[in-house]
Amino acid sequence: MGHATACVTPREGLAPERRIAMDFALIGHQESWRSAADVFAVLRGAERTQLPDDEIMEIFPWIPPRAVCNVEAFSATGATARGLYIDCFIPPDRLASEYLHDNIGRVRVAAACAIKAGARIVSLGGFSSILVEGNFNHLPVAADTIFTTGNTLTVAFIVRGIRKMCALERRDISRSTLLIVGATGDVGSGCTRCLAPFVKRVVLCARNAKRLQILAAELEADGTKVEIAKSLEQSPFEADIVICAASVASPSLQLGRIAPEAIICDAGYPKNLSPRSDMSGARVFFGGMGQIAGGLSFKPNFKGVLNRHPFPDVAHGCLLEGMVLALACRFEPFSHGRGFIRRERVEEIEAIAALHGIHLAPLFNADGPLKTPE
Amino acid sequence: MESLVSLTCSEQVVCNSTLPTASIWQDVLAQAVTGELMAAMNYSALSTICDDPEEVTDALEHAQGEQGHAAAFIAEGRKIGVEVPNNVNARYWKRIREAFMRCIATRDLIACLIVQEIMLESFAVASYSRVGKAAPGSLGKTFAAIAAEEEGHIDHAMEILRTERALAPERFDDKVYRLHLDVMTTLTEMVAKECRHGQCDLCHSDCVKPSLSEVGLSTTELRGASLQQYLKSLDRLGLPGEVTLQWVTQLPV
Repeated sequence: MGHATACVTPREGLAPERRIAMDFALIGHQESWRSAADVFAVLRGAERTQLPDDEIMEIFPWIPPRAVCNVEAFSATGATARGLYIDCFIPPDRLASEYLHDNIGRVRVAAACAIKAGARIVSLGGFSSILVEGNFNHLPVAADTIFTTGNTLTVAFIVRGIRKMCALERRDISRSTLLIVGATGDVGSGCTRCLAPFVKRVVLCARNAKRLQILAAELEADGTKVEIAKSLEQSPFEADIVICAASVASPSLQLGRIAPEAIICDAGYPKNLSPRSDMSGARVFFGGMGQIAGGLSFKPNFKGVLNRHPFPDVAHGCLLEGMVLALACRFEPFSHGRGFIRRERVEEIEAIAALHGIHLAPLFNADGPLKTPE
Repeated sequence: MESLVSLTCSEQVVCNSTLPTASIWQDVLAQAVTGELMAAMNYSALSTICDDPEEVTDALEHAQGEQGHAAAFIAEGRKIGVEVPNNVNARYWKRIREAFMRCIATRDLIACLIVQEIMLESFAVASYSRVGKAAPGSLGKTFAAIAAEEEGHIDHAMEILRTERALAPERFDDKVYRLHLDVMTTLTEMVAKECRHGQCDLCHSDCVKPSLSEVGLSTTELRGASLQQYLKSLDRLGLPGEVTLQWVTQLPV
């Protein structure tokens, strides 16, 4: 594999302290104290005593958003994109709405770090895009830096994952009832639009009744059978395919009426589903994950720490979208706002990703790789 | 320069105040007074290695300003009925002073500014701000006012240091790192949860750290705020965030 550099052009007239040649930046946060501890372990190095958990929990909230490591993404075409991973240092137990103001502030500072580093495109991963509701007006402005929420590629991988699971389970998707939890969110609504034409019935679940009505009307206009459930307990039908794409501060959802062998995709970050959920018989997998065939490298070496998954070079779709766009030299806000994700856009980003060797990751859940039927 | 300081070691001082938390504030003030006196000594020493007469004047004015801060803290102590001791030879302060004097010995003006203005002042601004919010009446106001003044010092030094860094960023960052290892380990120990290596030689009886919660403070908050301010100062200087993050996470627990 060659190492041609993707679209890196020196930029004129930058302030002396501003770095150049950064194709992308990824803004994210840790979803658990365990992952935060793992990050600290790498930063401290193996030769030092690891910090006790209570020390980490005390110091973590005080760290200003900042770059944690350099990242390189290697394309199947031989191109390389260079970037930074920037952590907002939002404490994993402070994603709830009472911390909204502080957390938006952190995302803004992280965005400023990306701009200062000269990143041409910035992916807002996890809650960072939810916090600003995909509205980039909340973020600092810079002519040379574009933001994307990464949600379109996330939807692409969720939908691809659902299709793959249905094929593995020999499930006829056209006879399925699809429940979308968090249906009116950007990812939830995007998944709904992509899958609605192919399923028997869609059940939409979200907190905002007005947005639910609007989405339902849109789908019904296209001929989809739609039901609305204002809560998981109120679902009128037993779903056999479920997508969890709600923005919840911690894994707390307990599904209501689902079929005994339902296919369940948990696409949350943090995860939606409560570990105490009774889903025996269901086939659960973590959705929205992609794998980069050419590989990823981190400096310092956070491989397996920032992307703690049972397969190598796997990352969340929201972060991969920034890398894909950088590799393709498409420095544009591909995903923004809420409710604009359509099938054509999903197919477009998936095709661009595929060109660079970025595909749906092998399926896995909390127990590891999914065991597939013989 | 040592004559600027009148050493009143903590064991000679008693607390006669009727304010229940006076003895806690006495120890907090002792740290602040010692820090300010040390800063005065440092600026005086700095004046001896400045080539530019304006810089010499500047440094001496700074020294006077820090002495003024020390006097203000001592006055606040008297208002609440306590005599505030100081001890620049106390365990941690002595190490910091020695680190600074090593920079003086090599006539490294930039290193001196990094130690005093970035490292020490970051801690001062952060901890004074927190104390300013927790302390009652004029004591709190004085801490808050001095925190704001110290922030002004950082701003002034920032310009000089950024210019220096622009000339040779790698060399500058290496220098900051060496000083970080020398000074920040001591400062971090100073604000650790407990003084593991024995008393700091400033608290007038038992270590004040376990009692800070009685006045609405904690070592967690003071340490966190100080490291946050330090990281922000390094960010403003232009050092890469991922590098300074490693430095700070590698500090002793």
